[in-house]
Amino acid sequence: METFNFILYLMAVLTCLACTVLLGSSYMHTGVRMLLWSTLCFVGLSVSNILLFFDLIVYPTEVDLRLWRLLPALAGLLFLLYGFIWESEDN
Amino acid sequence: MEDSAFSEAFCRFIQTAVPSVPVAELLLLIFKQPERWWTLPELLGELPRDVNITEAGAVTSLESLRSRGLVEFDDNKRVRYRAASDALDAQVHTLAQAYNERPVTLIRMIYALRDTRIQSFADAFKFRKR
Amino acid sequence: MVEFLSGAVTLAYLIAALFFLRFWRKTADRLFLVFTVAFVLFALNQGLAHMLAVYHEPSSFIYALRVLGFVLILIAIVDKNVSSGKSTR
Repeated sequence: METFNFILYLMAVLTCLACTVLLGSSYMHTGVRMLLWSTLCFVGLSVSNILLFFDLIVYPTEVDLRLWRLLPALAGLLFLLYGFIWESEDN
Repeated sequence: MEDSAFSEAFCRFIQTAVPSVPVAELLLLIFKQPERWWTLPELLGELPRDVNITEAGAVTSLESLRSRGLVEFDDNKRVRYRAASDALDAQVHTLAQAYNERPVTLIRMIYALRDTRIQSFADAFKFRKR
Repeated sequence: MVEFLSGAVTLAYLIAALFFLRFWRKTADRLFLVFTVAFVLFALNQGLAHMLAVYHEPSSFIYALRVLGFVLILIAIVDKNVSSGKSTR
Protein backbone atom coordinates (compact mmCIF):
# COMPACT_ATOMS: atom_id res chain seq x y z
CA MET A 1 0.00 0.00 0.00
CA GLU A 2 2.83 2.36 0.82
CA THR A 3 4.51 1.77 -2.50
CA PHE A 4 1.19 2.26 -4.24
CA ASN A 5 0.64 5.57 -2.46
CA PHE A 6 4.20 6.58 -3.19
CA ILE A 7 3.64 6.05 -6.91
CA LEU A 8 0.25 7.78 -6.97
CA TYR A 9 1.39 10.88 -5.12
CA LEU A 10 4.56 11.03 -7.17
CA MET A 11 2.44 10.84 -10.30
CA ALA A 12 0.37 13.78 -9.09
CA VAL A 13 3.56 15.76 -8.60
CA LEU A 14 4.90 14.81 -12.03
CA THR A 15 1.59 15.55 -13.79
CA CYS A 16 1.52 18.95 -12.15
CA LEU A 17 5.11 19.64 -13.19
CA ALA A 18 4.30 18.50 -16.73
CA CYS A 19 1.43 21.02 -16.84
CA THR A 20 3.83 23.73 -15.68
CA VAL A 21 6.40 22.89 -18.33
CA LEU A 22 3.84 22.57 -21.16
CA LEU A 23 2.10 25.84 -20.28
CA GLY A 24 5.43 27.61 -19.77
CA SER A 25 6.90 26.54 -23.09
CA SER A 26 3.64 27.40 -24.81
CA TYR A 27 3.81 30.87 -23.30
CA MET A 28 7.36 31.28 -24.60
CA HIS A 29 6.22 30.29 -28.09
CA THR A 30 2.98 32.22 -28.30
CA GLY A 31 3.40 35.10 -25.89
CA VAL A 32 -0.22 34.71 -24.77
CA ARG A 33 -0.22 36.30 -21.32
CA MET A 34 -2.97 34.09 -19.96
CA LEU A 35 -0.53 31.21 -20.33
CA LEU A 36 2.00 33.02 -18.15
CA TRP A 37 -0.53 33.28 -15.33
CA SER A 38 -1.56 29.67 -15.85
CA THR A 39 2.09 28.64 -15.68
CA LEU A 40 2.54 30.53 -12.40
CA CYS A 41 -0.55 28.78 -11.05
CA PHE A 42 0.90 25.37 -11.80
CA VAL A 43 4.23 26.39 -10.29
CA GLY A 44 2.32 27.08 -7.07
CA LEU A 45 0.31 23.87 -7.32
CA SER A 46 3.49 21.90 -8.05
CA VAL A 47 5.20 23.30 -4.94
CA SER A 48 2.06 22.48 -2.97
CA ASN A 49 1.99 18.95 -4.39
CA ILE A 50 5.68 18.37 -3.64
CA LEU A 51 5.09 19.48 -0.05
CA LEU A 52 2.02 17.22 0.11
CA PHE A 53 4.20 14.36 -1.06
CA PHE A 54 6.69 15.02 1.75
CA ASP A 55 3.95 15.70 4.30
CA LEU A 56 1.93 12.53 3.62
CA ILE A 57 4.35 10.02 2.16
CA VAL A 58 7.91 10.80 3.17
CA TYR A 59 7.40 12.19 6.69
CA PRO A 60 3.80 11.19 7.54
CA THR A 61 4.15 11.67 11.28
CA GLU A 62 7.16 13.91 11.77
CA VAL A 63 5.98 17.13 10.21
CA ASP A 64 2.85 19.17 9.55
CA LEU A 65 3.27 21.19 6.39
CA ARG A 66 -0.39 22.19 6.03
CA LEU A 67 0.28 25.91 6.13
CA TRP A 68 3.15 25.59 3.67
CA ARG A 69 1.01 23.48 1.35
CA LEU A 70 -1.76 26.03 1.35
CA LEU A 71 0.26 29.19 0.76
CA PRO A 72 1.73 28.30 -2.67
CA ALA A 73 -1.60 26.76 -3.74
CA LEU A 74 -3.50 29.93 -2.90
CA ALA A 75 -0.88 32.15 -4.54
CA GLY A 76 -0.99 29.99 -7.67
CA LEU A 77 -4.78 30.00 -7.84
CA LEU A 78 -4.89 33.79 -7.45
CA PHE A 79 -2.50 34.10 -10.41
CA LEU A 80 -4.74 31.79 -12.41
CA LEU A 81 -7.93 33.68 -11.59
CA TYR A 82 -6.24 36.99 -12.38
CA GLY A 83 -5.18 35.61 -15.75
CA PHE A 84 -8.63 34.19 -16.47
CA ILE A 85 -10.38 37.42 -15.55
CA TRP A 86 -8.08 39.88 -17.31
CA GLU A 87 -6.50 37.97 -20.15
CA SER A 88 -8.86 35.27 -21.35
CA GLU A 89 -10.97 37.34 -23.77
CA ASP A 90 -9.72 38.65 -27.08
CA ASN A 91 -9.67 42.44 -27.47
CA MET B 1 -15.48 14.96 -31.19
CA GLU B 2 -18.12 15.29 -33.83
CA ASP B 3 -16.15 17.96 -35.69
CA SER B 4 -12.96 15.97 -35.82
CA ALA B 5 -13.20 15.52 -39.57
CA PHE B 6 -12.25 19.14 -40.20
CA SER B 7 -8.62 19.27 -41.23
CA GLU B 8 -6.05 21.46 -39.52
CA ALA B 9 -5.73 23.44 -42.76
CA PHE B 10 -9.46 24.10 -42.82
CA CYS B 11 -9.41 25.21 -39.18
CA ARG B 12 -6.59 27.61 -39.95
CA PHE B 13 -8.56 28.93 -42.92
CA ILE B 14 -11.57 29.58 -40.69
CA GLN B 15 -9.41 31.14 -38.03
CA THR B 16 -7.75 33.60 -40.39
CA ALA B 17 -10.39 34.31 -43.04
CA VAL B 18 -13.79 33.64 -41.45
CA PRO B 19 -13.77 35.24 -38.00
CA SER B 20 -17.55 35.22 -37.56
CA VAL B 21 -20.76 33.59 -38.75
CA PRO B 22 -21.95 36.68 -40.73
CA VAL B 23 -18.66 36.70 -42.65
CA ALA B 24 -19.22 33.03 -43.49
CA GLU B 25 -22.76 33.80 -44.69
CA LEU B 26 -21.47 36.69 -46.78
CA LEU B 27 -18.69 34.67 -48.36
CA LEU B 28 -21.00 31.75 -49.14
CA LEU B 29 -23.64 34.01 -50.70
CA ILE B 30 -21.03 35.51 -53.04
CA PHE B 31 -19.57 32.07 -53.69
CA LYS B 32 -22.92 30.58 -54.76
CA GLN B 33 -22.96 32.71 -57.92
CA PRO B 34 -19.28 32.96 -58.71
CA GLU B 35 -19.71 35.01 -61.89
CA ARG B 36 -22.06 37.60 -60.45
CA TRP B 37 -20.95 41.10 -59.51
CA TRP B 38 -22.81 42.14 -56.36
CA THR B 39 -23.61 45.58 -55.06
CA LEU B 40 -23.71 46.05 -51.33
CA PRO B 41 -27.52 46.53 -51.14
CA GLU B 42 -28.01 43.36 -53.21
CA LEU B 43 -25.82 41.41 -50.83
CA LEU B 44 -27.55 42.72 -47.73
CA GLY B 45 -30.92 42.08 -49.37
CA GLU B 46 -30.19 38.46 -50.15
CA LEU B 47 -28.52 37.47 -46.91
CA PRO B 48 -30.74 35.28 -44.74
CA ARG B 49 -32.86 37.41 -42.44
CA ASP B 50 -31.32 36.08 -39.25
CA VAL B 51 -27.83 37.17 -40.23
CA ASN B 52 -26.92 39.96 -37.89
CA ILE B 53 -24.70 42.38 -39.80
CA THR B 54 -24.75 46.13 -40.35
CA GLU B 55 -23.88 47.88 -43.59
CA ALA B 56 -20.60 49.10 -42.09
CA GLY B 57 -19.89 45.61 -40.80
CA ALA B 58 -20.47 44.16 -44.25
CA VAL B 59 -18.07 46.69 -45.82
CA THR B 60 -15.37 45.81 -43.30
CA SER B 61 -15.98 42.08 -43.79
CA LEU B 62 -15.80 42.34 -47.58
CA GLU B 63 -12.55 44.30 -47.33
CA SER B 64 -11.08 41.61 -45.07
CA LEU B 65 -12.24 38.88 -47.48
CA ARG B 66 -10.53 40.80 -50.29
CA SER B 67 -7.30 41.06 -48.30
CA ARG B 68 -7.43 37.28 -47.79
CA GLY B 69 -7.69 36.77 -51.55
CA LEU B 70 -11.27 35.53 -51.61
CA VAL B 71 -13.20 38.28 -53.42
CA GLU B 72 -12.42 41.13 -55.79
CA PHE B 73 -13.93 44.59 -56.34
CA ASP B 74 -14.55 46.38 -59.58
CA ASP B 75 -14.40 50.14 -60.15
CA ASN B 76 -18.02 50.56 -59.08
CA LYS B 77 -17.34 48.92 -55.74
CA ARG B 78 -19.18 45.81 -56.80
CA VAL B 79 -17.84 42.55 -55.47
CA ARG B 80 -17.34 39.11 -56.98
CA TYR B 81 -16.01 35.79 -55.78
CA ARG B 82 -12.42 35.21 -56.72
CA ALA B 83 -10.15 32.83 -54.84
CA ALA B 84 -6.48 33.73 -55.16
CA SER B 85 -5.44 30.10 -55.32
CA ASP B 86 -6.89 26.65 -55.93
CA ALA B 87 -6.14 25.78 -52.30
CA LEU B 88 -8.25 28.69 -51.07
CA ASP B 89 -11.00 27.79 -53.52
CA ALA B 90 -10.98 24.24 -52.13
CA GLN B 91 -11.34 25.58 -48.58
CA VAL B 92 -14.37 27.64 -49.59
CA HIS B 93 -15.87 24.53 -51.17
CA THR B 94 -15.31 22.71 -47.89
CA LEU B 95 -16.90 25.62 -46.05
CA ALA B 96 -19.98 25.51 -48.32
CA GLN B 97 -20.25 21.76 -47.87
CA ALA B 98 -19.90 22.00 -44.09
CA TYR B 99 -22.48 24.77 -44.02
CA ASN B 100 -25.00 22.61 -45.85
CA GLU B 101 -24.30 19.34 -44.11
CA ARG B 102 -23.29 20.25 -40.56
CA PRO B 103 -24.18 23.89 -39.93
CA VAL B 104 -24.31 23.59 -36.15
CA THR B 105 -20.86 22.01 -35.98
CA LEU B 106 -19.49 24.65 -38.31
CA ILE B 107 -20.96 27.54 -36.34
CA ARG B 108 -19.64 26.11 -33.11
CA MET B 109 -16.23 25.80 -34.66
CA ILE B 110 -16.25 29.39 -35.87
CA TYR B 111 -17.07 30.56 -32.35
CA ALA B 112 -14.49 28.22 -30.88
CA LEU B 113 -11.70 29.43 -33.12
CA ARG B 114 -12.54 33.00 -32.22
CA ASP B 115 -11.71 32.31 -28.60
CA THR B 116 -8.07 31.82 -29.40
CA ARG B 117 -6.63 32.78 -26.03
CA ILE B 118 -8.79 30.28 -24.25
CA GLN B 119 -7.93 27.74 -26.91
CA SER B 120 -4.22 28.45 -26.44
CA PHE B 121 -4.55 27.03 -22.91
CA ALA B 122 -5.86 23.74 -24.25
CA ASP B 123 -3.37 23.71 -27.12
CA ALA B 124 -0.51 24.13 -24.65
CA PHE B 125 -1.02 20.49 -23.76
CA LYS B 126 -0.18 19.29 -27.25
CA PHE B 127 3.41 18.13 -27.54
CA ARG B 128 3.83 18.49 -31.28
CA LYS B 129 3.55 21.35 -33.72
CA ARG B 130 4.87 24.25 -31.71
CA MET C 1 -4.50 30.80 9.70
CA VAL C 2 -4.68 27.30 8.27
CA GLU C 3 -8.48 27.39 8.59
CA PHE C 4 -8.71 30.67 6.73
CA LEU C 5 -6.33 29.59 3.97
CA SER C 6 -8.06 26.24 3.63
CA GLY C 7 -11.38 27.94 2.96
CA ALA C 8 -9.82 30.42 0.58
CA VAL C 9 -8.08 27.69 -1.42
CA THR C 10 -11.29 25.63 -1.57
CA LEU C 11 -13.24 28.56 -2.97
CA ALA C 12 -10.43 29.47 -5.39
CA TYR C 13 -10.45 25.92 -6.79
CA LEU C 14 -14.21 26.14 -7.28
CA ILE C 15 -14.02 29.50 -9.05
CA ALA C 16 -11.26 28.19 -11.31
CA ALA C 17 -13.47 25.16 -12.04
CA LEU C 18 -16.30 27.50 -13.11
CA PHE C 19 -13.94 29.26 -15.52
CA PHE C 20 -12.87 25.94 -17.00
CA LEU C 21 -16.54 25.03 -17.38
CA ARG C 22 -17.15 28.26 -19.28
CA PHE C 23 -14.11 27.62 -21.47
CA TRP C 24 -15.45 24.16 -22.23
CA ARG C 25 -18.82 25.57 -23.24
CA LYS C 26 -17.12 28.15 -25.43
CA THR C 27 -14.62 25.92 -27.19
CA ALA C 28 -16.15 22.43 -26.84
CA ASP C 29 -12.63 21.21 -26.07
CA ARG C 30 -13.03 18.30 -23.67
CA LEU C 31 -9.71 19.10 -22.01
CA PHE C 32 -11.52 21.94 -20.26
CA LEU C 33 -14.23 19.58 -19.06
CA VAL C 34 -11.57 17.38 -17.49
CA PHE C 35 -9.97 20.41 -15.83
CA THR C 36 -13.40 21.39 -14.49
CA VAL C 37 -13.86 17.98 -12.90
CA ALA C 38 -10.28 17.92 -11.62
CA PHE C 39 -10.56 21.32 -9.95
CA VAL C 40 -13.88 20.38 -8.34
CA LEU C 41 -12.11 17.29 -6.98
CA PHE C 42 -9.29 19.50 -5.64
CA ALA C 43 -11.89 21.70 -3.96
CA LEU C 44 -13.59 18.66 -2.42
CA ASN C 45 -10.24 17.36 -1.21
CA GLN C 46 -9.38 20.68 0.38
CA GLY C 47 -12.80 21.22 1.91
CA LEU C 48 -13.33 17.69 3.20
CA ALA C 49 -9.81 17.33 4.57
CA HIS C 50 -10.51 20.30 6.74
CA MET C 51 -14.08 19.52 7.70
CA LEU C 52 -13.30 15.91 8.62
CA ALA C 53 -9.90 16.82 10.08
CA VAL C 54 -8.04 14.32 7.94
CA TYR C 55 -4.62 15.80 7.41
CA HIS C 56 -2.03 13.08 7.18
CA GLU C 57 -3.80 10.04 5.80
CA PRO C 58 -2.42 9.28 2.34
CA SER C 59 -4.77 6.31 1.92
CA SER C 60 -7.88 8.29 2.80
CA PHE C 61 -10.45 8.71 0.05
CA ILE C 62 -10.16 12.44 0.64
CA TYR C 63 -6.64 12.58 -0.73
CA ALA C 64 -7.54 10.02 -3.37
CA LEU C 65 -9.83 12.74 -4.79
CA ARG C 66 -6.84 14.96 -5.32
CA VAL C 67 -4.73 12.21 -6.85
CA LEU C 68 -7.67 11.25 -9.07
CA GLY C 69 -7.85 14.85 -10.27
CA PHE C 70 -4.26 14.72 -11.45
CA VAL C 71 -4.75 11.31 -13.01
CA LEU C 72 -7.65 12.80 -15.00
CA ILE C 73 -5.48 15.71 -16.12
CA LEU C 74 -2.78 13.25 -17.16
CA ILE C 75 -5.32 11.29 -19.20
CA ALA C 76 -6.56 14.53 -20.78
CA ILE C 77 -3.01 15.43 -21.83
CA VAL C 78 -2.52 11.98 -23.36
CA ASP C 79 -5.93 12.25 -25.05
CA LYS C 80 -5.01 15.66 -26.43
CA ASN C 81 -1.93 14.22 -28.06
CA VAL C 82 -3.39 10.94 -29.25
CA SER C 83 -6.23 12.74 -31.00
CA SER C 84 -4.15 15.66 -32.27
CA GLY C 85 -3.63 14.11 -35.69
CA LYS C 86 -7.02 15.54 -36.45
CA SER C 87 -8.25 18.74 -34.98
CA THR C 88 -9.88 18.23 -31.60
CA ARG C 89 -11.41 21.65 -31.73
